[in-house]
Amino acid sequence: MKTYNLAALLVGVPLLMAFSIPLFGFISKQLAKWITVLTLGFEFFFGLYIFLWHIYPFNVIMGNWLPPFGENLYIGPFATVLIILISFVGLMISIYNLWSANHGDVVHFALLFLMFVGGSIGLVSTGDIFNIFIFMEITGISSFALAAYGPERRALGGAFKYLVVSSIGSTLYLFGVLLIYTQLGTLNIAEIAARISQTTSGLLTFAGILLVAGLAVEAELFPFNGWVPDTYTGAVNPVSATLSGIGSVGGVYVLFRILMTVFGKDGNFVSTYGNIDLMALVAILGSATVVIGELSALVQKNVKKMLAYSSMAQMGLVAIGFSIGSKMGSYAGVFQLVNHSIAKAMMFLILGIIVSFGIGEHIEDMKGLWYKSPFLTVTFTIGSLSLLGLPLFGGFWSKFALVDASIQRGGWYDFVIAIVLFASVVEAFYYLRIVGYMFTSKPTSTDKIKVSISPAVPIVAFSILIIAIGVFPQIVGGISWNAAHELTDKMGGYVLNVIPTIVGH
Amino acid sequence: MVDFLQNWVYLTGAMALVGIGLYIVLTNTNIFRIIVGLNIIDSGTNLFIVTIAWHPKSVMPIYTATNNLVVNGHVISADPLPQSLVLTAIVIGLGTTALALAIAVKIYQKYGTLDVRKIKEGDR
Repeated sequence: MKTYNLAALLVGVPLLMAFSIPLFGFISKQLAKWITVLTLGFEFFFGLYIFLWHIYPFNVIMGNWLPPFGENLYIGPFATVLIILISFVGLMISIYNLWSANHGDVVHFALLFLMFVGGSIGLVSTGDIFNIFIFMEITGISSFALAAYGPERRALGGAFKYLVVSSIGSTLYLFGVLLIYTQLGTLNIAEIAARISQTTSGLLTFAGILLVAGLAVEAELFPFNGWVPDTYTGAVNPVSATLSGIGSVGGVYVLFRILMTVFGKDGNFVSTYGNIDLMALVAILGSATVVIGELSALVQKNVKKMLAYSSMAQMGLVAIGFSIGSKMGSYAGVFQLVNHSIAKAMMFLILGIIVSFGIGEHIEDMKGLWYKSPFLTVTFTIGSLSLLGLPLFGGFWSKFALVDASIQRGGWYDFVIAIVLFASVVEAFYYLRIVGYMFTSKPTSTDKIKVSISPAVPIVAFSILIIAIGVFPQIVGGISWNAAHELTDKMGGYVLNVIPTIVGH
Repeated sequence: MVDFLQNWVYLTGAMALVGIGLYIVLTNTNIFRIIVGLNIIDSGTNLFIVTIAWHPKSVMPIYTATNNLVVNGHVISADPLPQSLVLTAIVIGLGTTALALAIAVKIYQKYGTLDVRKIKEGDR
């Protein structure tokens, strides 16, 4: 077991800085915004340091109490890739906010944003199943307030809907955790994972269903994702980018940490303990999410709503990838998660610039954007092509791996190949329709859109990253493969790294 | 572990509270009533957490000269951990409720109603 206690700063610094932002806000509003940029820059470079110097996997031990007794953070390959992803997307959105957040309560907006990102980083690194609940609530409460921010009143309805659904979801999660606690008397993920077979099968199945139902709210899976379109459409664009680029990452992480590490039964393909196989349940929910999300996106005339439904469908693809249960499937899931976060966050930010110049969100309003701003048109096209999975763009490799993994699994999963191809065709139709409008139609007015430097930086960075991943997939591929190993081999990949002396049952 | 099913009265009560809360959230159209429903769900959860830590013959989980926590090799004290969990859960429930009420006030200022259906019509 390796320990590296300095990494507690990853969770501590953003929360500390978040609550001291009102003090900086007394001095100047601009300073409060720069504090978010600096803090998230620190997070990003700390994450890169952990990744490039291969410090992972390691534990952070609080107060020298060794894991089953004390609380710990476990940062393995999966947590590392997600910390880098979350802090990168957060850093980019905070740079964008330097330009976009300039009306209303800017200081508290910065506070909530930093709290959300810090909570998400805590969520992916904690090693305690109850702390996951606490971090879910930190991200939850800050994201309800973020979603309600903005001049438009439709934001309030979306935020309230999100609040109701999400707090019921986290209550269900808490019930599941407590049912497991009554059986095993511990809250440490590694110890529960090693002793999960000692539980009563019926109670474990019930707890598993409660956990899946609670976590599917954040992971945007089918029966629990009714909040997605309203909340994403109502919120201001940087917040929609945050929710789809960072919020859903945390949800998916917890869902599959619980299903594969805690409930997982090792084998060629990971299945779960209990009376029903929860991995198959999530595969069914994920497939339904993809079909419903894509078809709903197809009929939308509002671009923002279309992006929201597309986000839902992409999270379905991620869930299908993980639920295949093989190493290849988890690799596809992690890779697809990275691609989706980068591309979808970028597209929401682009839409934010377009809307700020008085052009509507309707699909007809996109006509002739090429003549107004070639920069925004080209970057929007790059994002679309990555999401629909064209070669030389990031999304191609993850969809390719997804199909590859379903072929290896065979059986019922042959159906998944059809779903992935169906999703790509439908996405191609509705994204290329917008791109076609942008390039071909003549605009009614030819006012040029002048993009200033601060919103341009994140968009350029995101598009370069998408093309870089498309050309050199090993940038993300190597660590995704390690993350897949961590998920599919639960004793060697997780439990023994946290508690070396434990014996699996 | 203590067999927590002995407390079936409290468990039934906790489940009933959660059920009542869910029913209120799902059937009412007034935002204030929905918030009350969420609060009732929270109370049910908290009751459940306290219940699993306790059984009728348990003693307090503090070690003193006269208070034996272990008798004949069996732990008879109440479990202290869920009681610390319930504090966290209560505080989180309070925070969520406060935020929900703040959003409800804002909704009333902007729409002039708390009826979910009228708010939906107002957005069209």
